[in-house]
Amino acid sequence: MAGLLKKSTGLVGLAVDSNPHEHLRILYTKLTAVLQNIPKDAAYRKYTEAMINERLNMVKTEPDVQKLENKINDGQIEEVILQAENELNLARKMAQWKPWEPLIEDPPSDQWKWPV
Amino acid sequence: MAAAGAWAGKVVAAAVGTVVKPIFSRDLNEARRRVRELYRAWYREVPNTVHLFQLDITVKQGRDKVREMFMKNAHVTDPRVIDLLVIKGKIELQETIHVWKQRTHVLRYFHETETPQPTDFLSKFYAGNDP
Amino acid sequence: MTRDAATCPAVRQQARCLESSTTETHPTIRPKDEVQQKQLCAFGEYVAEILPRYIQQVQVTCFNELEILIHPDGIIPVLTFLRDHTNAQFKSLADLTAVDVPTRQNRFEIVYNLLSLRFNSRIRVKTYADELTPLDSAVSVHQAANWYEREVWDMFGVFFANHPDLRRILTDYGFEGHPFRKDFPLSGFVEVRYDDEVKRVVAEPLELAQEFRKFDLNSPWETFPAYREAPEPLTIEAGDKKGDVK
Repeated sequence: MAGLLKKSTGLVGLAVDSNPHEHLRILYTKLTAVLQNIPKDAAYRKYTEAMINERLNMVKTEPDVQKLENKINDGQIEEVILQAENELNLARKMAQWKPWEPLIEDPPSDQWKWPV
Repeated sequence: MAAAGAWAGKVVAAAVGTVVKPIFSRDLNEARRRVRELYRAWYREVPNTVHLFQLDITVKQGRDKVREMFMKNAHVTDPRVIDLLVIKGKIELQETIHVWKQRTHVLRYFHETETPQPTDFLSKFYAGNDP
Repeated sequence: MTRDAATCPAVRQQARCLESSTTETHPTIRPKDEVQQKQLCAFGEYVAEILPRYIQQVQVTCFNELEILIHPDGIIPVLTFLRDHTNAQFKSLADLTAVDVPTRQNRFEIVYNLLSLRFNSRIRVKTYADELTPLDSAVSVHQAANWYEREVWDMFGVFFANHPDLRRILTDYGFEGHPFRKDFPLSGFVEVRYDDEVKRVVAEPLELAQEFRKFDLNSPWETFPAYREAPEPLTIEAGDKKGDVK
């Protein structure tokens, strides 16, 4: 559908997606599932869930690709898909790293004092 | 063996004062094993090196030099320092095997052209060298 | 400045901009960009809120540069987060280098400069190491880190664990020492010349002629007067003053 109108994204290595809505919906659903492993009060889950829910709503309500791109306002739809893929990979890693825990170790007292 | 290793690790940690992040080896025995591996690799490489670089030395001389270079750091006991030295030794070995070095770099180990530093007072005075 | 601190409590502001004291028509100071500073503050807080485990401090310098100071264990998580998170997208590693401050317990500061092409913004991530602590290599996150880490290893002697090909990059084969360390002498330890007898280049211990041994160089620390701390105001007791007059 979009492939008929659009020949290229103009970006090397990024092919035109023929069915971006479906792809985005799958990715965001997966992402939501991965985020369930992260504690509810973690800032990462909070912000990411808010963002993907907003985007998912736009994907559901807006059938036209061009208008959807304008609504999301984060580049072409293929780039948005790429971002979602990256976010999914990141979320899986974040679940292992547990970065919402308190600081591992304080720096030595003189570490970040610049005029030494 | 494992128990002995853990014990040695504890000793090292106690000596340093805090628990430190190891580079590769958790204790002295492991570090020593790495040193032996490196020494073996160098020992086997010496005939090749002498042939490849067309050095005017015998294999025996080359191996003696390797031994001397290793013994220079014999006093080091911190596993992390040993690991770093082994890493540097491995890098040198790689440079030698791939002939990234040239003759001059290999022969630099032998200090042929250096004049020995004067030791007694009078020759130091003649050389005009204060330290 | 106080108002900024009120809006961004977690972010430390470096208030070292020189105020123009004279009334010039074209003062040569950088105009302050409040909007950009606010944005950087907000983003700094955002990152610090998400990764409290690794981030020790966040600061915005007076030149509007966002700096994130992290624990060495957090290199991979923080860089990966900044690369992959949709609101960050710092995909490009512009520079990786080290700073040597010998008086500190962890003498090396490792600095990562990142660029986000999507949001046209830069960020600086800093961490620390000493001579013997291995750091995680960032090559798995940014391919560009490969040669930069080799350079840092060669020049400073900071070891990067899991680096695919850690070896020298700038110094000559057989070179000993790490030239960018502050305790490495300016003249080095060896001098190189061509020897006619052995028909090759030889390296010998350095013998400086007397006239070259006197360096008339100021300490490198003194070149940045803006960063020098203001001298203590001199207070002289009345009794001492009398003594001086005598």
